[in-house]
Amino acid sequence: MKGFRGTRVSVFLFENQLFKCHTENRQREIPVFRREFGARSFVRVSGLGETMGKEKGMWKLRRKLALSPLILAAFFLAACGGGSGGGGEGGSGDGGEVVNIGYSGPLSGGASLYGENVLEGIQMAVADLNEEGVEIDGQPVTFEISSLDDRYLPNEAATNAQRLVQQEDAAVVFIPHSGGIFAAQSINADRNEFLLGAYSSDPAILEQENPLTMMIPPRFDNYMEPFVGTTMDEFGDSLGLIPTESEYGQEWTDQVTEEWENQGGEVLSNNGVDYATTTDYAGPVTQALSEDPDVLFVGGPSQPTALVIEEARGQGFEGGFIVMDQAKVEEMEEFTSEENINGSVGVMPLIESTEAGTEDFVARYEEEISEDRIPVSEVGYNYQAMHVVAKAMELADSTDDPQAIRENIEPALAEVEDEYKVINFPDGFTEEGHLAGPVVATFVEDGEYTELEVPQEQ
Amino acid sequence: MELFLQQLINGIALGSVYSLAALGLTLVFGVLRIPNLAHGALYMIGAYVTYFALTSYGIPYIVAIGISAAVLALIGVIVERLVFHPLRNAPHTHHLIAAVGVLFFLQSGAQVLWGSEFREMPSPFTGVINIFGLNIGQQRLVVIFASILVMAALYWFLKKTVPGQTIEAIEQDRTGASLVGIDANRVSMMTFAISAALAAVAASLVAPINLVFPTMGEALNLKVFAIIILGGLGSIPGAIVGGFALALAEVFSSTYVSNAFSEAIGFLFLLVVLAVRPTGLFSKGA
Repeated sequence: MKGFRGTRVSVFLFENQLFKCHTENRQREIPVFRREFGARSFVRVSGLGETMGKEKGMWKLRRKLALSPLILAAFFLAACGGGSGGGGEGGSGDGGEVVNIGYSGPLSGGASLYGENVLEGIQMAVADLNEEGVEIDGQPVTFEISSLDDRYLPNEAATNAQRLVQQEDAAVVFIPHSGGIFAAQSINADRNEFLLGAYSSDPAILEQENPLTMMIPPRFDNYMEPFVGTTMDEFGDSLGLIPTESEYGQEWTDQVTEEWENQGGEVLSNNGVDYATTTDYAGPVTQALSEDPDVLFVGGPSQPTALVIEEARGQGFEGGFIVMDQAKVEEMEEFTSEENINGSVGVMPLIESTEAGTEDFVARYEEEISEDRIPVSEVGYNYQAMHVVAKAMELADSTDDPQAIRENIEPALAEVEDEYKVINFPDGFTEEGHLAGPVVATFVEDGEYTELEVPQEQ
Repeated sequence: MELFLQQLINGIALGSVYSLAALGLTLVFGVLRIPNLAHGALYMIGAYVTYFALTSYGIPYIVAIGISAAVLALIGVIVERLVFHPLRNAPHTHHLIAAVGVLFFLQSGAQVLWGSEFREMPSPFTGVINIFGLNIGQQRLVVIFASILVMAALYWFLKKTVPGQTIEAIEQDRTGASLVGIDANRVSMMTFAISAALAAVAASLVAPINLVFPTMGEALNLKVFAIIILGGLGSIPGAIVGGFALALAEVFSSTYVSNAFSEAIGFLFLLVVLAVRPTGLFSKGA
């Protein structure tokens, strides 16, 4: 019993030291411990207690473990890396009531750039709203964002969403990946209700018939017909496949394959590789080109996609590319020459969009967020979505009733000022919960982004 | 046939990088018996150092690789002194935990310092050479030749110089080496320095055909471990042969068997080798 107590206490001490006062000297901590629990507790200290010598009551650190606090601190740092920043404190300032908007996305690890892009969009909209001054139900409000890192993990996203709702009173939570969205859909209509701002183009999100989902971007299945039709007409009817091997990539591959065959083309073997872990793309590219395709289907994160295209051109491929919507042509341009991208169909770059607010938005992004990067479409879509949410709150006269906010999304669309419309702004909100509207994609021809209409079938 | 040759060259280029990275890992294991899980992170830091030497200071590519190797050698020594040296008498689990700690620390550090965006490393060797109908990127040839050069230099160092021979001596018999007056401390530091420098060279060579980002070492980390287990822990020829074997197995299995299979093939190969020869292909004694 004594031994047990000793162990427990020393673990507590250790944690305490690590998380609260890890800079303090361990040796100075111990007398406190001693006073509280009496010297008897030390007799059979085991487990972490072993880190301390026990000679004649002298508490001396053994050298072999002198570094363990450092190592654990490294763990701690890693675990918190890019972590729960931006927590909104409830203190209401001049702007009246504080409305917390939740966000859970990848803010560390391989997908963190994507997560940051999405967050930037929401942040820019919140900055607009706070500057302009929003009144809801007669009360001035200030928007704040509470963001949590989910490292792209579905269960983590759901846990985060729950935390955001319970601790930060968020009525709306944005999640930018389909796995996290599905996980959140299983909890958002129950005890802790919240409106889910779902940023993923996977149409399966809508099939869940979740009453509190707002799917933000255009659904990707609608891209198939124009993408396939354009490239097949232009280059020929055999299609090679080198997509990324994520779950999302797999779904795209299945749909592209089906559509290509429907339109009478031939689909060659799948040479997909995981873009996140591949060291050299030459192998899969050689393999795909050995079957002499007219068009290649590629895509994953923009930058590796650019390398795949560059490799294909380097090995003498002259056909066209169907680029998955995850990759952004404008980002790819920074990693391979413009010439290489000619003949690609993909999503319309935000910077080429003709919406009323695009130009100012791009300028502001450069000024406020980053001079080196350009705003990609995920920044824009989430920016617009946040404006829609704010308008819906105004119309619902509520900041905390997800149901009421959801019901007012459709009318809110007409109320959003033109200056906040930056890319494919939706004109309707479907039964299933999709912000739908006309969508324009692009076909890159002689260095020009020509518009490609994407018919919307719901 | 053309396909075969093209893939052979792709496989050799990939294998050179795997081997270089695996060599560093196997050296450390041989001398210190530490599975240095932070090796992939050192590899990543090496790529960043070369990247900044190239882009921020305009240093020529080859010189930048040399600087990166030197900086990483220093980091290797620091890691050995601060983390692994104090643990030298601790149980093995402590090394493992410490190495994972270093891995996370370096990865998060890179993300905080340099952001998580992908960066493209400019290289002067951007062209494509056409030989007998094969299209070979110049950078791939650089990778192959530079790797061979570095491996030859390492071999010469280990076999023909006194400091190199002390490494081998410690590897073969720690007590015996100490008895004849070899300073194990110095050898540990030297081994870590060489290991980190090799990782830096491998990363700097491959970065122009891939990208530089904080998690770039993760996938490689797993593969180099498979390679040194395959080749025999601590064995230098094992690391070289293992690296090429894994790369060629990956490339050719995707060419002639199935693409979905290629990532798995390396590990399947590993299972077979371990079943037949549990100590790895080139293990000494045991």
